[in-house]
Amino acid sequence: MPEIEIPVSLPELTNEEILRYSRHLLLPEVALDGQKRIKAARVLCVGTGGLGSPLALYLAAAGVGTLGVVDFDVVDHTNLQRQIIHTTADVGRSKVASAAEKINAVNPNVNVRTFEAKLTSANALELFREFDIIADGTDNFATRYLVNDACVLTGKPNVYASIFRFEGQASVFATEQGPCYRCLYPEPPPPGAVPSCAEGGVLGVLPGLLGIIQATEVLKLILGAGEPLIGRLLLVDALDMRFREVKLRKTPECPVCGENRTIRELIDYEQFCGVRGEEKPATTTTMAEIEPEELKRRLDAGENVFILDVREPHEYQICNLHGHLIPLGDLPQRVGELDRETEIVVHCKLGGRSAKAVELLRTQGFRNVKNLTGGIMRWAEKVDPTMPRY
Amino acid sequence: MISATTIRVVLPAHLKTLARVSGEVRLEIAGEPTPRAVLDALEARYPVLRGTVRDQVTQQRRPFIRFFACEQDLSHEPPDTPLPQAVVLGAEPFLVIGAIAGG
Repeated sequence: MPEIEIPVSLPELTNEEILRYSRHLLLPEVALDGQKRIKAARVLCVGTGGLGSPLALYLAAAGVGTLGVVDFDVVDHTNLQRQIIHTTADVGRSKVASAAEKINAVNPNVNVRTFEAKLTSANALELFREFDIIADGTDNFATRYLVNDACVLTGKPNVYASIFRFEGQASVFATEQGPCYRCLYPEPPPPGAVPSCAEGGVLGVLPGLLGIIQATEVLKLILGAGEPLIGRLLLVDALDMRFREVKLRKTPECPVCGENRTIRELIDYEQFCGVRGEEKPATTTTMAEIEPEELKRRLDAGENVFILDVREPHEYQICNLHGHLIPLGDLPQRVGELDRETEIVVHCKLGGRSAKAVELLRTQGFRNVKNLTGGIMRWAEKVDPTMPRY
Repeated sequence: MISATTIRVVLPAHLKTLARVSGEVRLEIAGEPTPRAVLDALEARYPVLRGTVRDQVTQQRRPFIRFFACEQDLSHEPPDTPLPQAVVLGAEPFLVIGAIAGG
């Protein structure tokens, strides 16, 4: 169990707090001293999205004394299906302001510290030093590695979870006793290899499950109770409702926590993970791209442009450009449906899958292939505002 | 002579999508069931997965993929290490786990 530095003289609880936390005080594993430890604890929630929402709400309800929330984003409609700390009325508001308001509503005793900024190599170490435990609820690989390395360098436990579709992973990293995130995954997938939730979707309740596992681990670390998820990776499959646990070991040659570590300061994580962030469309300098406005102009002019849609059929049902549908996974077997002499514009939702399709078609001898910049969502934004977005 | 063995394989969500499968994959392994034999059979059945789990050239496990079975990490075992008996008997699956970053 990692040592969480809690002040020697613990804060007293008011009568209101004793009443509020009475169900905790009845647990011998928590009791009065444990609740005081919770009150003295400082926890930083990185991200106030799907994971951060239940995490922050439960930690607030449990009485964590200082709760930091860091996020640069604003609430949008697509968040509301799972990010339960934000409401419909919050759309357009800063996520940290929205989260702080709800945390205070749940428990006004919590000192909420808001950081409306992107977590970067320039601010992470200083920020992490002000907290006892870091909970990683971010949504992209670059920030995952940044959080991990900053936790290792500052000696803070990293209470980790991530989600995709119906599956989740959780662990506690960056402690002296166990492996770190880099021990598990030394390198991120190449940009676009693993879709983001924005591309692949996620069951709305899944971050609820995983975020609450994170909150549980945070409280256990504060209390020094039970067996933390250190050296264990919890695998959650919500579709089959199966929880599997696998053992993890420290990697001796880990560049950040290994015996001969080479990473002694934070690096450029955008570069490390590729230019593309998980939630952003792919852009490459070498790939032929066409902007939605240009495609619209050429289609209106009656030019012979073949539109290839490489999304899934259920996405096609939501909105489409009347293109020929061949999901990316089927493309290698179905290239015979395409004419090498016709100009092809490939699109997906945001531009990531279509970029892979363009590369694949190039290797198959298609010379006149372009990627629709920003996918059909950019089309909806720039050309057809009536088109449903998802 | 070693008879064929059916190995249960669990793939990460994005590879299930790519291979157009749902749930576990069951693979017939003709020889000794090892991680290499399982991955060879996987790629033979689903050519679209070539290069996603192992590097196409070096055949090394990609660094954002891990192998587990019976709660144990097999990622650093030599690829010809026999699989645990529970996997060979079909009681436990061979898990291919991939990095995900959603939050």
